[in-house]
Amino acid sequence: MPTFHRLAKTSVFALVFALLASACTSSSDDDATVTIYSGRNEELIRPILDDFTEQTGIEVEVRYGESADLAVLLTEEGDQSPADVYLSQSPGAVEFLDDEGLLAELPSDVLSLVPETVSDADGRWVGVSGRQRVLVYNPDLVDPADLPSSVFELTDPAWEGRLGIAPGNGSFQDFVTAMRGSIGDDETLTWLEGLEANDVQSYPKNSAIVAAVGRGEIAAGLVNHYYNFRLLEEDPNHVGLNHQLASDDLGSLLIVTGAAVLESSDNQDNAAALIEFLLSEDSQRFFADETFEYPLASGVGPSGDIPPAEFGSVADLDVTGLGADLPGTRNLITEAGLEG
Amino acid sequence: MDVHAWLLGLGFALPGLFVLYRAVRLGSDVADSIDRAVGPLGRTLLLSFSVAATASVVGTALAWLIVRSNLPGRRFVRVLGPLPLVLPSFVGAAAMLAAVAPGGVLDGALATIGIDNPRLRGFWPAWILLSSFTYPYVLLPVAARLASLSPAAEESARVLGRSAFGAFVSVTLPSIRSAVASSGLLVFLYTVSEFGAVQLLGYDTLTRVIFASRLSDRGTSFVAAALLVLVAVAVSGLERAMRRPAHADQLRASYVVERARLGRWTAPALAAVWSVLAIGLIIPLVSLATWATRAVSGGDIDAARLLEASWNTALAGLLTSVVAVLVVLPLALAVVRHRSRRARSASVAVVSGFAVPGLVIALALVFFTLNTPGVGWLYQTLPLLIAAYVIHFGSQALGASEDAVLAVPDAVRESGLLLEASAQVRARRLDLPLMRPSLLSGGGLVLLSTVKELPATLLLAPIGFRTLATDVWGSYEEGFLPDVGLAALVLVVLSGTLTWFLVLSRAEALRAH
Repeated sequence: MPTFHRLAKTSVFALVFALLASACTSSSDDDATVTIYSGRNEELIRPILDDFTEQTGIEVEVRYGESADLAVLLTEEGDQSPADVYLSQSPGAVEFLDDEGLLAELPSDVLSLVPETVSDADGRWVGVSGRQRVLVYNPDLVDPADLPSSVFELTDPAWEGRLGIAPGNGSFQDFVTAMRGSIGDDETLTWLEGLEANDVQSYPKNSAIVAAVGRGEIAAGLVNHYYNFRLLEEDPNHVGLNHQLASDDLGSLLIVTGAAVLESSDNQDNAAALIEFLLSEDSQRFFADETFEYPLASGVGPSGDIPPAEFGSVADLDVTGLGADLPGTRNLITEAGLEG
Repeated sequence: MDVHAWLLGLGFALPGLFVLYRAVRLGSDVADSIDRAVGPLGRTLLLSFSVAATASVVGTALAWLIVRSNLPGRRFVRVLGPLPLVLPSFVGAAAMLAAVAPGGVLDGALATIGIDNPRLRGFWPAWILLSSFTYPYVLLPVAARLASLSPAAEESARVLGRSAFGAFVSVTLPSIRSAVASSGLLVFLYTVSEFGAVQLLGYDTLTRVIFASRLSDRGTSFVAAALLVLVAVAVSGLERAMRRPAHADQLRASYVVERARLGRWTAPALAAVWSVLAIGLIIPLVSLATWATRAVSGGDIDAARLLEASWNTALAGLLTSVVAVLVVLPLALAVVRHRSRRARSASVAVVSGFAVPGLVIALALVFFTLNTPGVGWLYQTLPLLIAAYVIHFGSQALGASEDAVLAVPDAVRESGLLLEASAQVRARRLDLPLMRPSLLSGGGLVLLSTVKELPATLLLAPIGFRTLATDVWGSYEEGFLPDVGLAALVLVVLSGTLTWFLVLSRAEALRAH
């Protein structure tokens, strides 16, 4: 069977060739480069990173992905991770890494840039921008007079089959975690079961809910505030309005995006400098005006279109404690019969 | 040969081993985790069997119509037929959801037939959409097999009074059965691993458990992944065991095809073919095009970025398809021609790899690369990414390679042995020309899957390596639909062009000889 042996040999050669072909493309690992694993989308961060390189001469390399996937990746990599900085879309994923012991302590001058309520208690990550939980609704299907002031009204029969949530989504889970912290597991479960009994519609993510509201599939949905602004910018014909629940209601929780330096990084100074840059006034203005988020650094206000939100107004909730018990939250969501 | 089979089997089994290791290490309460995964497992099985059965029938029928019938416009259908495969499933599903929504491209049409604001959620939409997206897995190998099969027996049956359909069932079907079975298995495994579309369509399967609990409850996540691997190994092992010993074609290979006349069946056949294409390709494309026009009219098209992504996509796709075919062809020879048991076990590992979600394959390679001394330099390089793709998609090249080996009649091989001493000359002048249609179709399938792969690409690619699929994902994630439409259309055009020039036109050229 000479043909066979030839083929076997060729296949081995092919593998070796492929392995060598681009071995030379291995990434640069010098001090002048900061490597970021970013759960934040490229469109929503790249311009700031370019400014950072321009002003400091420090090159930035970014791996984009979902916050949770990148967090799992960082756990697998452990102390061999090439990453210096981790950017998360929600507190849950960055708290997870903190629990795994993978985060380094941030310098106090970085921590002091934001109010204490939006940074980690032991100083291992800071909030960079904020998203508020709101009720997005279709004005053709909901009379503004009927809009609730609390999420607890959503288990009312008036909302049967008309409400959308994203039970598998990080923001929703963070919100449920906050609810547990505020009213306890039993009450939270009762509320989740009430939603399920009310035929709540499950979607994979916030943007899908906003789109479904726009096309009239559901009347309203629990989402982060900026998706509606973005969809409106993309599609002027989109039908959808944000409704802020009462400022002291759990439903208007503020969820922060987090930034952290990896303990395994051998470039921690530059990594911290980058996070400091994300909290500079120009970067914070970018988050406010370009991505419709709430800036978190002291002294910067939100974009004109967006109503102000008060930090810490939500039942004195310490947002950084969010995500501390994700498994418990997931259990409750599953127990209520929702796809979580 | 044994060493090759062992190494290959081990390489392809890495994700499974990793998952089992992690499930044992992290699964603190396995009974509880399994309890949670049983419902989704049932739904996974139901959906996967339904989709596999439907796609097998549709793909085989389409293949026969293209290769053996006088269907009007069959050349056109031949180019469009494989293309539903190039849309990442979440894009296809999202485009379809947008199409039936108020203001979508189908909204008016649906309203006139009395369907108002349909909700595409649950089993039925998932079944129909996934079947329409996956039948090309069957179409390509079966069409290749039909093309390399002599029509003489079918013609004799016709002469002896069988109907076209009767001749197909009694004569042709037995010869293409292994191709249909192995590609139906691919569809099954694909559906098992599918995440994007079922999630959008709200059908709760095992992959969703893996994803939803990957941070919050890692034990459950890996136990669910382990269940999925077991299902994949069991089903592919079963398919392999039930297979009758395959025989190479004993008829003289011939390429003169007398096409069956459809006659009064022409109109129904055309309607069926174009309905399938409409759901799998045309409607999603029109939706994507409406999004893309907003990007074009908005004027913010980053051509350099699209070009870079296209180049990377093509490079990764082509390298992967060549490597995958070269890696599994020896295995196919060992399985089919030499009936090697070890090779058959290895082939189960190769086939099962397709059912493991890309995220899990990526994490497995992270684990093994970083924990094996001496290979750390491979981490997050293109070769490692290609290796992940080959592990994930090698199964598609394997089925086709086995068909390729079957396409060389024993008589031809024996005459070759008598007449030509040099193995090299025999391989070049006898084996390869006969194997070519199937090998190309296998490479084509791998190419089409690779260019849209996402989770492994995001985690394992060299940093900054942007592909069309990662661009589509990034834009979709944040709701930038015009960019989604644009990048997805470029992906479709690129994959269509590559498959045409590298696969279809070459398989065609063969017949001119």
